Amino acid sequence: MKISLSLNLNGQDMEFEIDVKQTLLEVLRNNAKCQSVHRSCEEGECGACTILLDNEPVNSCLVLAASVQGSTILTSEGLVREGKPHPLMKAFTDELGLQCGFCTPGMVMNAYALINRSGDKALTSEVIRKNLEGNLCRCTGYVNIINSIQQAQKAKIAGEWW
Amino acid sequence: MKNFIGSRAMPDLIYHSPEDMDGLMSLLQNNTKNGQQKVKIVAGCTDFVPAVRTGRWDFKPGINIIDIKKIKSLNYIKKEDNQLKIGACTRLVQIFESLDILENAKVLSQAVGQMASLQVRNTATIGGNLCMSSPAADSAPVLLVLDAKVTLQDPKGAQEIWLKDFFTGPGQNVLKSDQILTQISFPIQEGHEAAHFLKIGTRTAVIIAVVSTAVGMGIKNGVCENPKIALGSVAPTPIRVEKAEKFLHHKFLDDQTIEACAKIVSEEITPITDLRAGKEYRKDMASTLVKRAILACRKEKK
Repeated sequence: MKISLSLNLNGQDMEFEIDVKQTLLEVLRNNAKCQSVHRSCEEGECGACTILLDNEPVNSCLVLAASVQGSTILTSEGLVREGKPHPLMKAFTDELGLQCGFCTPGMVMNAYALINRSGDKALTSEVIRKNLEGNLCRCTGYVNIINSIQQAQKAKIAGEWW
Repeated sequence: MKNFIGSRAMPDLIYHSPEDMDGLMSLLQNNTKNGQQKVKIVAGCTDFVPAVRTGRWDFKPGINIIDIKKIKSLNYIKKEDNQLKIGACTRLVQIFESLDILENAKVLSQAVGQMASLQVRNTATIGGNLCMSSPAADSAPVLLVLDAKVTLQDPKGAQEIWLKDFFTGPGQNVLKSDQILTQISFPIQEGHEAAHFLKIGTRTAVIIAVVSTAVGMGIKNGVCENPKIALGSVAPTPIRVEKAEKFLHHKFLDDQTIEACAKIVSEEITPITDLRAGKEYRKDMASTLVKRAILACRKEKK
């Protein structure tokens, strides 16, 4: 069964011809060519496919694309502005918050939502760990990721954020 | 697109997403003739998608999927006549963030906060967790301890049943093919009541519980009243252990009594050995978790 799916993807209104059996992950990767959304466990264990659906992090592999008709979706491509990396991405590179990089787009999207909803209260390592419980990283041991997120929050408080 | 080893493409689906109950009821009526199930009702889909992809559920191509997530009248948390009422399509994150739940049934917040991961809690619904009827469902022991009732609705009308009568086996419940679960309700906790939820697994997040338990009771002057003990992953369905509850009723909560109660629990349950844990380990852990949960209740109401 084919339907037309309209989405606001990374700030642009778009329309896709999709089959209702496609997951949001498949639509984002194959139809929209957002290759930052990584396909991995497809069971919601790893978080590599995390995107923001109406500003909330969700696993795109577990969402039927047909069910998000008319929603706003943000992937890490959408964080780049005028060719410049987002301050959060810069914090990840500065603090060595990634090694192989496979989990990074999911980590970044989850961290982006976390920082946006936390205000100015400094994020503790404990809070960050609890929020990243659904994102697996097999390289870094998480310490540098947590440092990156704390660094990024400082950037946000300093006003370098979008 | 090629699929990874172990996973496979979704079968062909016909997708419906009614926006109100009338639309849903007429869809159910038209698609369940002669009692044959041609529909599958879904909401968050966080369990449905992997279940179909990995072949845990086998569907004939062309099945009707009815997505009830868009029905706004199934998404609410409200306090009415000393009862808390939760709509079936309320997402776990809404329950976790609800002040009504935190103030009147803290144990449910506690359990929901431990379920899966942030991403899954943002998508999954409480009704979905119950209707999947996994023996390991984390919300089930808690709701059993809270004496919850569920409302089932079909095109002919609605009925309310006890949650403990809802589950019939692993992945099975009393729902008929044209029936849906619309509401979960339970009495709010009183001042002298305490309840705690504990679970163990191989990881703290995104795990299917090896054993989970919820314990609730009233405590007056150190004496236990109307204890309720429920466990997950130790029987074909989430269960209440009535022998242990009877034993604990009207008893002073000293260490020996708690120890004895935990022992009765391990004798009363019937866990199996599977790839997550052996049955001896589950029995051991069940009595340990029950003991810890009772101790936590005692500490809270000291």
